[in-house]
Amino acid sequence: MSAEAPTDPPAAPPAATPSATAPVGAEAPRPVGPAPRPRRYGRQSLLYRDRYEQDLRLVRGVAGWTGLGLAALAVAVLPLVTRGYVVYNVTLFYVYALVAVSLAVLVGMTGQVSLGHAGFLAAGAYAQAALASEGLPYPLTLLAAMAVAALLGLVIGVPALRLEGPYLAIATLGFGLAVQQVLNNWSYVGASTGRFADRPVFLGVDFYGDRPYYWLVAALAALTVWAVFNLERSHVGRAFRAVRDADLAAQMSGIGLAKHKTLAFVVSAAIAGLAGALYGPLVGYLTPESFNLLLSIKFLLMVVVGGLGLLPGALVGAGFITGLEVYLSTFRAWSQLVFGLVVILVLVLEPAGLYGRWLKVRRYWKTWPM
Amino acid sequence: MSGLGAALQVLVSGATVGSVYALVALGLVLLYRTTRILNFAHGDIGVLGTFLAYVLLTQLDLPFGVSFALALAAAALIGALLYLVVVRPAKTETDLGLIILTLGLALALGGFDALVFGTDNKVVPTLVPDRVVRVAGAGLSVASLVTASLGVVLMLALWALLSYTRLGIAMRALAQRPDVAEALGLPVRTVLLATWGAAAVLATAAALLFAPTTLLNPSMMLDPLSKGFVAAVIGGMNSLPGAVLGGYVLGVLELVVGVYVSLEFKASFAFLVVILVLLLRPHGLLGRPDVKRV
Repeated sequence: MSAEAPTDPPAAPPAATPSATAPVGAEAPRPVGPAPRPRRYGRQSLLYRDRYEQDLRLVRGVAGWTGLGLAALAVAVLPLVTRGYVVYNVTLFYVYALVAVSLAVLVGMTGQVSLGHAGFLAAGAYAQAALASEGLPYPLTLLAAMAVAALLGLVIGVPALRLEGPYLAIATLGFGLAVQQVLNNWSYVGASTGRFADRPVFLGVDFYGDRPYYWLVAALAALTVWAVFNLERSHVGRAFRAVRDADLAAQMSGIGLAKHKTLAFVVSAAIAGLAGALYGPLVGYLTPESFNLLLSIKFLLMVVVGGLGLLPGALVGAGFITGLEVYLSTFRAWSQLVFGLVVILVLVLEPAGLYGRWLKVRRYWKTWPM
Repeated sequence: MSGLGAALQVLVSGATVGSVYALVALGLVLLYRTTRILNFAHGDIGVLGTFLAYVLLTQLDLPFGVSFALALAAAALIGALLYLVVVRPAKTETDLGLIILTLGLALALGGFDALVFGTDNKVVPTLVPDRVVRVAGAGLSVASLVTASLGVVLMLALWALLSYTRLGIAMRALAQRPDVAEALGLPVRTVLLATWGAAAVLATAAALLFAPTTLLNPSMMLDPLSKGFVAAVIGGMNSLPGAVLGGYVLGVLELVVGVYVSLEFKASFAFLVVILVLLLRPHGLLGRPDVKRV
């Protein structure tokens, strides 16, 4: 599925119907009369961009900056106005959002499916916990967790080059189960009984409470998400999408298929590893059992339900799935059935995902009454 | 016990498990090559059918043959219904969207089973009273021999369906070239309905054969399903003989590892095999790569 750009180039105005004899690709005749829409209200067009610099911008216009500022403010003050239970679950959402974004890089950008992302999360979480208990300073444990996960990404990414479709899905599924199996039998990390993962103390700050840890996770997650948004707009991000949409054409244009496919696995695994390193101290206790296939499936659900190929979609999906799970946990026996039905419903009604639907709605209102 | 007897025992027990894997893999491959859907709800469809058989067997006191036949018929209806109600209306065309759809379906069906039939373990009686016969020093369970042979009978039935009936030939045509099949006037929707129904029957048959060897609960088919995927991938996702081969090879190899190497290693061994096989043959043992048009 190709990510539909939120702003299509302006179509030929309805008044100007190209003549049937015009050769394909020829420009439609210029309409007579006043130029359509742009700058109609004496300000910059919201809908269309007329310069490349506008297209490159991550945050656009006054509305964009206001929205971002409000969102940042909401994230920052949330722990001050809500109960600990909410703070904990929102922190969990940030961690899951990181995994969803990492999966969006792999599945959304390069089109390689992974049913084993819980494995990278586990690798990051266990690496962080083990190194922290060896006395390594906190920032180093985070970096080490990312490195361990990235290395695993390389290990699985290289053989994955030869695989596609269902074969890759089953191979990554196997990777996730294998990580679980190894952790289950490795006595250094606690085997099947699991191990503690303590909240960090660094820069003289104790992050033991839910609130301080919330801010730490929020800051790191925001930083990472910002980096990934930039990655998407860089030449690497464009190469990823070229590999996904037309691998042969990409190769003809000088994009190394093997290099970029492997790189996507490594980057994705590293981000998932960071998420794992944040996840461990959040839940406090790690067991191999918690990094099961269902968790990997949930991460994939987040990406698709949010809107495949759209980075904000991964965030929306992570929020939706995490929220739905927390909400449904009060229903106990009904929760799994309703969860499955909601997922089916979203896919049946809106294949472009929740964020894809939002884009459609926004475009409808912006172009109304066109 | 002699070495020969031990080998025979491993071989027969492995083939018993292998026939369940092979049946699961057959259902997955049958659906995949016709519809391109990697069906993660396959196991849960089977479990639902098995729960139906269990209810017919224990609460209505119907005989074995009748309740199993009714359960298989119900499974065919469930499969066709899922296609009509869930898969067909879904507008998602990407492979991944369809995978996610079946994952959602798996969760919903599992939740339904848990809600209606409960999550407690139920004992499904064996088809025949179990006893042990001794052949060349190996103790072979009669029930598992019956399981293995029933699996073979079902596979032969599927082979006959695909080779000799109009419906089967239409299924194969659709799997080979969907656009040409449609242009030639094959009733595509009916054939797809039949394919979903047949896959659901295979899933339920596998679950019914597997249930007596374990305990019946909503997550019973999780392990056989993942092994069935492995078997299908080893054999090649678009090859039916490959699925059968993969199922038996995996069943026997797994038991050999469990007996002679280590029991802990048994669970992840299947995935090691997958990675090894895929490294050598990226499209499975008997599978053919999809030819890509540029």
